[in-house]
Parts: sequence; structure tokens; C-alpha cells
Amino acid sequence: MRLRHLFGFRQLRTRLAVLYAGLFAVGMLCVAGLLYAVVAHNSKAQVTRELVANGTVYDRLWDQQTSQLRAAAGLLARDFGFRAAVATHDRNTIESALSNLRQRMGLSTAFIVDVNGTVTGLADPRETAQASALSTQLDEGVTAGVAPLGGQAHKIVAAPIMAPALTGWVVFATELDQHEMRGLERLSAIPLSAAVYERRANGSWVGADSATEAPDPAVSHFLEANWHQSQPADIDGPNGLSIALAKPLPAVPGAPPAVLLLQYPMRLALSPYRPLEIAIAVIGIFGLGLVVLATWRMARSITLPISLLDAAAGKLADGQVASVPVSSQDELGRLAATFNRMSADIVEREKRITHLAFSDLLTSLPNRANFNQHLDHQLRLVERRGGHVALLCMDLDNFKAINDTLGHPTGDELLRRIASRLGEELGDIFVARLGGDEFVMVKSYSGDTGTIDELARRALAAVEAPIHIGEHALESKASIGVAIAPADGNNQNTLLRSAELALYKAKEAGRGTYRFFEESMNALAQERRALEVDLRQALNNGELDLHYQPLFHLSADRVGGFEALLRWNHPKRGSIPPVEFIPVAEETGLIVQIGAWVIQEACRQAALWPDHIRVAVNVSSIQFQRPGLSHVVLQALQNSGLKPERLEIEITESIFLERSESTLQLLHTLRGLGVRIALDDFGTGYSSLSYLQSFPFDKIKIDRSFVVALRSRPGAAAIVKAIIDLADALGMETTAEGVEEQSQLAILTRQGATSIQGYLFSKPVPAPDATRLLKSKLKLRAA
Amino acid sequence: MSCARIWTATLLCAWSAAALPAPAYAADLDVQVRGADGAPVRDAVVSVHLAARATPHPHAGGSYVIDQQDIQFHPFVAAVPVGASVTFMNHDPVRHHVYSFSPAKKFELKLASKQQNQSVLFDKPGIVPLGCNIHDRMIAYLDVVDTPWAKTADANGHVVLRDIPAGAITITVWHPYLRAPGNIVSRGAILSEGTAHGEKFAVPMRTPPHDPGTGY
Repeated sequence: MRLRHLFGFRQLRTRLAVLYAGLFAVGMLCVAGLLYAVVAHNSKAQVTRELVANGTVYDRLWDQQTSQLRAAAGLLARDFGFRAAVATHDRNTIESALSNLRQRMGLSTAFIVDVNGTVTGLADPRETAQASALSTQLDEGVTAGVAPLGGQAHKIVAAPIMAPALTGWVVFATELDQHEMRGLERLSAIPLSAAVYERRANGSWVGADSATEAPDPAVSHFLEANWHQSQPADIDGPNGLSIALAKPLPAVPGAPPAVLLLQYPMRLALSPYRPLEIAIAVIGIFGLGLVVLATWRMARSITLPISLLDAAAGKLADGQVASVPVSSQDELGRLAATFNRMSADIVEREKRITHLAFSDLLTSLPNRANFNQHLDHQLRLVERRGGHVALLCMDLDNFKAINDTLGHPTGDELLRRIASRLGEELGDIFVARLGGDEFVMVKSYSGDTGTIDELARRALAAVEAPIHIGEHALESKASIGVAIAPADGNNQNTLLRSAELALYKAKEAGRGTYRFFEESMNALAQERRALEVDLRQALNNGELDLHYQPLFHLSADRVGGFEALLRWNHPKRGSIPPVEFIPVAEETGLIVQIGAWVIQEACRQAALWPDHIRVAVNVSSIQFQRPGLSHVVLQALQNSGLKPERLEIEITESIFLERSESTLQLLHTLRGLGVRIALDDFGTGYSSLSYLQSFPFDKIKIDRSFVVALRSRPGAAAIVKAIIDLADALGMETTAEGVEEQSQLAILTRQGATSIQGYLFSKPVPAPDATRLLKSKLKLRAA
Repeated sequence: MSCARIWTATLLCAWSAAALPAPAYAADLDVQVRGADGAPVRDAVVSVHLAARATPHPHAGGSYVIDQQDIQFHPFVAAVPVGASVTFMNHDPVRHHVYSFSPAKKFELKLASKQQNQSVLFDKPGIVPLGCNIHDRMIAYLDVVDTPWAKTADANGHVVLRDIPAGAITITVWHPYLRAPGNIVSRGAILSEGTAHGEKFAVPMRTPPHDPGTGY
């Protein structure tokens, strides 16, 4: 781990350079090591040979010197006069003869030992004693060797004195001193050092000569180990490695062993090769430098494209567009090309993802998320720089019907065409589709709102121009609500709500138009919310009540039934008209609960009335969409005991706008229970005769607009007659709503309407009043 | 070799005759000399002195000869009585320069080739090594004895001394290569009348200097 960390180079080229330099260095070290080993081995072998040769030379020298001395001693020992002097113990003559010989031979010491150990020629008592002790060895035939004399090793050569029998020995002694060793060193071809050491009885070694220093411990150790054998070996001394040869010198028996030590330091042996070593080191360092330089350069050519790729990949990771130059045809070139392709693909995919995320799939217009971003951005710009942002909410007025009647594909196509047309007509105005038929436009501007008026008109015009889809020529209309930031809201939510409120207003105003948001709209909206809160309480608190408006049966000339109408007596605000709270109930879904209560209550009330009196209950399209309506009806009938045919469910055409199949099924189910079904507000909206064909309604209620029009528009009577005739033909009853005047009654009676409803007869009244009304047996004023 | 023995025999016969007649109460001594290794030691001089009595002076009237032949003395060892005059006879065709530095007798004789008439009187007892100053390898020994009973051992290291008075005696063995002070080993013994007394000596011997002439 640590090692890996150590070699965890940040750069590939450093790694390569270090790797190759390392390999080269290892190679060079191997070569140098091998060379050194060979050189060292050869030098050692050479030195060893030299040492052995020198040892042999020294042997020769020793022998030569021995024989020279022996010859001289022998000469003296055989001299008749000398022998006579020795035999007659003529001390003076003997000493003068020895002195004469010492001078002639250049000897340090010469003396005589007789067979009894008597010494002549030495002055020092210690030397005399040592010389006397020699007689035993000499008597045993030893005539040469190393022996101590006066604290120093001497080479001793003796010759017997025969006079004529053995009477003693002439002994010559030479010191084994530095002088002789230097002479030996000079003889050698290599600069070796020679010294003679003596072994003490306790195993320690001393220089044989007072001038020779005591050997250092390594040498002592070597001598102790090697003094028996004349084999060259290594000494690892304080001055480095040496090769040494210990040559035992022939000692006089009993005398301490002495060795000649020839030494040659390896340092000196290797010194001739020093220039070679330096040359190799220089070549190695120079080569290493070259390798590093070459690797560095080569690595650069390899790693530069990789570094570029690395940098480009980093940029790509940061979300930037990145590409690298393709400079070669090799793997790196292909890698770079592939990288560029991948990079381009990623950018392309990002664009597509962004497009999907921020575009509406159907129309390719910006979607809600995009719109949120854009509006947010514009709002912030306005906040910083001033000016205005206009938000236009547009809604197609009749899209649902088109979708239902012509099918979704047509509806989708319509939306696409409108979207593209908006794009064409409005130029660079930001247009988004929020969903369904809901479009928004955002425009930043300064100055007055004239440009926005113009924009709204252009947008409406773009929608209104006929659109041909297949064989249909569709004429759409749209409503637009406009809200201006920052006046109508300085954040998205507020501004959007304001625009939507304005849109409601525009729709209320009759569609196909646009409205600017006004503060009052907001107040209305708040009121509406308050209403919603209160409405949730109303049912539980018994604030809801049913009023009943009689339906007068013209041919029977009596009240044939009542339409139950919901009233809300708000504890604070008093009576609230249905037109205000029913939409709220529908939006919030409260209509389901409320509607169920209405059915229950109406049935309960109707059960109290005579058998011929029916009760009509309005059922919202929301109730049809939710499950359980048939159950509610059945429950109400069972609870109240009301005969089913006395209950009349009033529906509007709007229930067919959604899920007409299931709606029809539900209608048939209700009809199966025996309940009557009436089609309310007939003739308004998208009244289609196909409805009449699809379900056999029991009654058609002619919309009040036609009844009102009877007074003013000449054609109205014809329409009413047509409806009544149509209903007759289909076996359906008719009820005319909103009859307020006798003239209307006259026409309706003449045309054959089954019943009438309206203020002319009675306004909606509470249940007790309705019951009284039945008892009073009121007649129509006209009658 | 045979020559050496002849000359020795001549010398001994002359000496024995001079010592006669022997007393009736005498006894004989038979001495066997061997080395430490058991080898017989020839040329060892065995001599007897009387203990607690005066040893009689030997009779020195005989003639004693040391020959020089083939660059060698003959015999190698000889025992002669004090006062004996020994004649040195040169049989070689070369000159000899006979000498001795011994305390018992110091002398020099320059002998010309074939010269046979030089005599030396040995008037003191002791060992007299004889050498030739010209020929180093020539060496011989004279044991000048002051007793009538002395003789060199034969090739078997055997010596018989006769007519020694019974009683205590000292037997001395000398040989130039005997390893002992003065090259001498001595021993006491008691001789009984009319009997032959036997003595065996085992003596340490030095390795002789290599000299083919002496046979050692």
C-alpha cells in the first residue's frame, strides 16, 4: 500500500521515465557489479599468485642465506688454528676470531657453544643462557632455524666444530629485522608488505623485531588461523580487505613459532582498475541521463494526447462541450476520434433530454416546466430592471366537444395546428402549452398595455381562423386572461392565478374574448374560497334547504309536480343563490354529498304529497361521473316509500360530454328502477339531436331562453313548436321553463306543451308553502 | 675391515703378554655392551679399577701401532696403558697430519707418504681423539688407561677381562658416541675367586656422524 502510494505518480510520463530509468540503472548496476566481481576476482588471483611467488622467493632467499652462513661457519669450524683454540679453550683467540668473522660477514652475532653448553662470544647473560640452551637442539642435529636471542627472533645457522671429535658449534645469528623485510618487499613485483611475527605461548602474536608493530586484531586472528598452512587468504582489517600469506619459518625446536606474513591490500590491487570504474560510472550516469531524457520526450509524445483527452474528459464531466484534435492514425488517434464522437453524442442526447424535459411532446411548444423557468427568469429580470411581464392564459372554448365528437386524434391535431399557428403569428413571443387546451404566452414589455391588447387580439385571431383537418373545417374560439407583473403578482403562482381569474372572467363574458385581471377578480376568488369553506359546514349545519317550484300540467289543469331547487341560508350572508355555490360544490366534489341529500330530501317530501305529484331533482354531471348514484336513488326511494315513477331525474346535455357510454348505461339503470329521466335546458349549448336518439327521455325541458324569446323574436315560436312536435313524435313530454307572461302561456298551450314552469304560476317556495299550494287547488290566472 | 682387525689383534696380544703372569686368586669378567636398542656396541672400551684397593700400574712395555690406510685411522678405538709409546704408520700414498688437542696428550705429526716410523709417548691417562688436519673424516680414539684391565669390545660388543683380583671393582664403559657426560658409564661389582663374573651394559648411544669409513 505504502509502496503503491510511493509509486502513485500523478503523471504517466513521470511513471514511464522513472520505470525506464530504473530499468537502465539496474542494468548498469548489474554490468558494473559483474565487472567489479571479475576485476576483483582477477586482481585477487593475480595478487594471490604474486604472494605465493614471493613466498617462494623468500624461501629461496632464506635457503641461500642459510647456506652462505653455513658455509662461512663451516669454514671457521674447520680452521685448524680455530679448532686448536677451541680445543684448548683459548678464549681470547676464539673471541678475536669470531669478531674478525663478524666484521667480514657483516653479522650481528656469532658465538660458540660447546657440547657441554658453554658459550663463548656473547656478553649479554640472557643471550648467553638462550645460546647455552641451544646446545641440546644443536646436538640433535638442528643446524638452522629461527630462535629467540635477547628478546628478538634471530635466524640461526650453526656448524659443528670437530676437533676432531665434536666439541661444539660455531653459531651465526642474524636478526629478522625491518631491513631484511624491506629488501624482500623491493624484490616483489607488487607493492606488498612483509613482516615476521612470533607466536607467544598464550597464542598471541608479536612482531619478531622490536621495530615491527604488534599486529592488529584482524591480522592476529588471521595468523592464529593460518600459521600452519602457507595458503593465501583474506584479512578484513581496519584498512580494508587484504590478501595475505602466512609462511611458517623453520624454527628451532622449542623456540616460539615464527611466520613471515606477506600482505597485499585489495585497495592497491584494484587501484589500476580505478579509471575503468570511473569510466563505467560516467558512462552509466551519462546513459541514465540520456534514457531519462529520451523516455521523457517519448513519454511526452504518448502522454500529450492522453493529457488532452484527460482535460477534455474533465471538461465533459463538468458539462462543457469538449473535443480533442485528432493528430494521428494510431490507437490514440482513434481514441480521440471516438471521444469526439461520444462527446458530440452526449451533447446531442443532452439536447434531446432537455427538449423532452422542457417541451410539450404533442405540440413541441415549451411545456409547463419550461414555462415556469421562463416566467421565473422574466420575473427576476423585471424585478431587477423594471418594466412589465404580461402573462396571457388562453383556453379553447369548445375543445372538449370537438375532442368528444371528432375523436382524440382530431383534437390532438387541432392542438398541434393551433400551436404552430400561434408560433407563426406571434413570432418571438414565448408560447407554452400547459396541458389540455391550455396555452400561455409571456411577453416582457415597457410602456402601456396597448401592445398586450394587440397581442391578445392576434392570438385570438390565430385561433379563430378555420382549421381544416381531414374533411372537417373546424372553427375554434378561445378566451384569454391577462395578468401583468409586477402589478398583478410578482411571483409565478400569484401571476398565474390572476391570469386564470381573468380567463374565467373572459369566459363569463361570453367567450372568444380576452380580459385583463382586475383586483376585484381576486376579491371574488377569495370570496369563492370562503364560500367553499362554509359550504363544507353547510350540510351538517342544516343550512341547506330545498325549495319547490310547481310544474303545471296544462292538459290536466293542475300541478303535476315540483322541481326541487337547492337553497343555502348562510348564517352570516343570508340566502346565497345556487348559481354562486353550485359551481363551487361541483369543483370541490361536495356536489356528490349534497346531491345525495337533495335526492333523499326531495323523495321524503314528495312521499308526503298526493300520488300524482312528481318531484324533479337536478343531478349534476359530476354525480354521474362518480359511482353510487343509482344506489343513492334506490336508497332514497326505499327510505321514502316513493313510487319510482314519481321521481324525475333532470340532467343536462353536459353529462354526455364525458364518458357517454357509461352515462347511457347509468341512465338505463335508473330507468330500470322506474325513475323518469328529463333532459334539462334543451336547445342551448351543443344540443344534438343524436342525444334524443340515443336515449328515450321521458321529458324534454325547453330552455327558458326560447320561452323568453317568444315575446321578441318571431322565429322563436317556430323553434319551440318544432321542439314540442319532435318530442311528441318521440313520445316525450315537454316542459317549458321560465314562463312569466300570459302571452307565453298562450303560445305554449296552443303549441301543445305538456307542462309549464315559471313565475307566472309560482316562484320556488319552501315545502310547507308547496303543500299549501296543492291544497289551495290554485288555478292558473289565465284559466 | 679385515685389515683393521688384524692390527687390533696385534696390538692387544702385545699388551696382554706384558700383564702376565696372573695371580692364582684371580677371577674373570665377562662384559656384554649393547645399545639402548639392544644392538651390540663394538669398540666400547671396558676397563676395571679395583675398589678400596690400589689398582696396579699397567705394564707399558709393549708396542702399539695406529695405522693410516685408505684415508682412515686403524683401529678406530684403542685402549693403551699409560706410558705407552704408540707408533703411527702411514700406508697411504698421501700425506697425513695427525693431531690431537686432548688434555691427555697434545701433539702433531706430519707424516709423509708411506712414512712408518713416527712414535708418540702417551704419559697421561685420558681420552685422546686423533684427527688428521688434511682429512676431516679421519678420526680415531685412544683411551689411555691407568689399569691393567682394559679392552675394546669386539663386533658383538663382547669383552672378557681375565685375572682380576676377587673383591669389589668398578667397571667403566667408554665409547665416543655414548650419550653421557664424558661418554662414560660406570658400575660397581664384586668378583668371587675362581669364577667368571658376567655383566651386561645397556648404554644410550648418539647417532654417529655419517662416515662410511668407520662402519657406523
